[in-house]
Amino acid sequence: MTSISQPANYAVLSPWAEVDPVTLRGLSAPRPTSLEGKTIGLFYMWKRASKPILQALEKHLKTRFPTLSFSWYAESVVNTPEVESPNKARYEDWLKGVDAVIFTYGD
Amino acid sequence: MYDVISAEERNIPAAGIFNEGFIEDARSAASSRTMPAIRAVPSSIPCEATDLADIDSGVQAILDDVITALTRSLSPEEKSPKSREPEKPTRFIFQGSLDEIQRFFYKRGWTDGLPVIPPTEDKVAEMLTGTDLPPDTLLGKLIPRQGKVTIEKIAVNAVMAGALPTYLPVIIAATRLLLDSESGFQGFCTFGVSTGSWSPLWIVNGPIRRDIQLNYSSGMMSPGNIANAAIGRTMGLIIKNLGGIRKGIEDMGVMGNPLKYTAVASENEEESPWEPLHVEMGLDKSDSAVTIAFPQSYLQHWPTSTDDEGILRSVQDYLHGAFTHNIFFNPTHARILAKAGWTKQDIKDFLVEFGRTPARRDPNSTAKLFKGRITPRPGETIRIIRDPRVIRIVVAGGPGAFMAHAFGGGPTPGKNEIRKIELPRNWEKLVAKYKDMIPNHVRY
Repeated sequence: MTSISQPANYAVLSPWAEVDPVTLRGLSAPRPTSLEGKTIGLFYMWKRASKPILQALEKHLKTRFPTLSFSWYAESVVNTPEVESPNKARYEDWLKGVDAVIFTYGD
Repeated sequence: MYDVISAEERNIPAAGIFNEGFIEDARSAASSRTMPAIRAVPSSIPCEATDLADIDSGVQAILDDVITALTRSLSPEEKSPKSREPEKPTRFIFQGSLDEIQRFFYKRGWTDGLPVIPPTEDKVAEMLTGTDLPPDTLLGKLIPRQGKVTIEKIAVNAVMAGALPTYLPVIIAATRLLLDSESGFQGFCTFGVSTGSWSPLWIVNGPIRRDIQLNYSSGMMSPGNIANAAIGRTMGLIIKNLGGIRKGIEDMGVMGNPLKYTAVASENEEESPWEPLHVEMGLDKSDSAVTIAFPQSYLQHWPTSTDDEGILRSVQDYLHGAFTHNIFFNPTHARILAKAGWTKQDIKDFLVEFGRTPARRDPNSTAKLFKGRITPRPGETIRIIRDPRVIRIVVAGGPGAFMAHAFGGGPTPGKNEIRKIELPRNWEKLVAKYKDMIPNHVRY
């Protein structure tokens, strides 16, 4: 008589790493009700489409809001958050002079 | 994405514009910095576009979305995102048959697509005989997910990949290289998530190569040797399951890279006429070590003649720009070169001096040379490699006339390129236990 073997049963350990508990942070910066008369920061990084996208945005936003002004900033260290670069203070000063910022990444 | 967060942290309203295929990646990056509600505007502008008409029409299409992102009042969810309970997987995560385990792990996204060995407590305990470190030892947190890298988690992933306990010292040293990787452009995380599909390449040197029977001869980079296969596979699982880099979410490699299944090389130090790679990098010959790079491409070429000039001209002709060049000479070519008087340094210097490309491939280019000051003359060439330290010369491979070149990403020279491998006290016994793990092919 042929015996039918039961499939083996395994209790297995998790390969997925634990992480420390995370407290999520919300957004708190008040949004302007309109862009009229505001200064918009335009931040671009090294990827080649980043700056041209902002140049096009500047053109079209200016058409929509003639009183809008712009302030440009270029990433100083490739693929490094600006606040982790040697130019952190310059970046923070720049942020103080704008009402809102648009970032482009080229991807 | 991190810059969007830094603006919001300083109370400046911000919006990021991303290609629509990168929105999930942007959200994952924002969550990893604990601010998931940042405003990301998807666009259909082709990635890295150069066509100004495409860019202009793409910008017009998202203009209202950008304005809204900057002016719409914050919703309660954006002000107070629900704190997600971090997944705290129980130590034992599942119980079932072999097939059920394969399906469970695959559906959780914990595998590389191939079946895995079930990481049972017994198998993990056996794996842990490969180290003196206690299982709960925390080596660090691996970016981007900040997953806690414990020795036990490393062992679980090593079991899944089919590794033997004798590989654990290599795997732990390789994991430490990831943990200590520099930040920024030439760091592990950038290469791990980049659209460029860079893959880790691990080069093992020292006595451990022979102890664990790493292949450094015929077909070194091909499947069929458990050490080469399982060490690289384990590292791929560690990057995914501890670092949290998943394909199409965090890893945005456009084409992908088959080297990501495994890419483990080793040097044939016994047949090399030169000092091995780890000695060049400052370790003793008696040390064992693992070196990291992140090549995009692996190509093989054939010398136009088998004298030193034919061999080196072939390498010269195939050079491309890269952060790191791993050049594998087979033992025969290495002997020919050494006999003709070439040292590793001579070869590097030759490639730096004579590996050149036209300064102006595009005749209409207006790019300038030397800090943007000099206009290139017709026919003028520039160096492909400026720093000889980015060239690594390794003797490996079997009989035959081909050589190989793995090039692409890599650390800044001298910054966590190599890690010494620490062996457990019971090393000799452990090696003896697994020494018969070698394929014996029948003749036919």
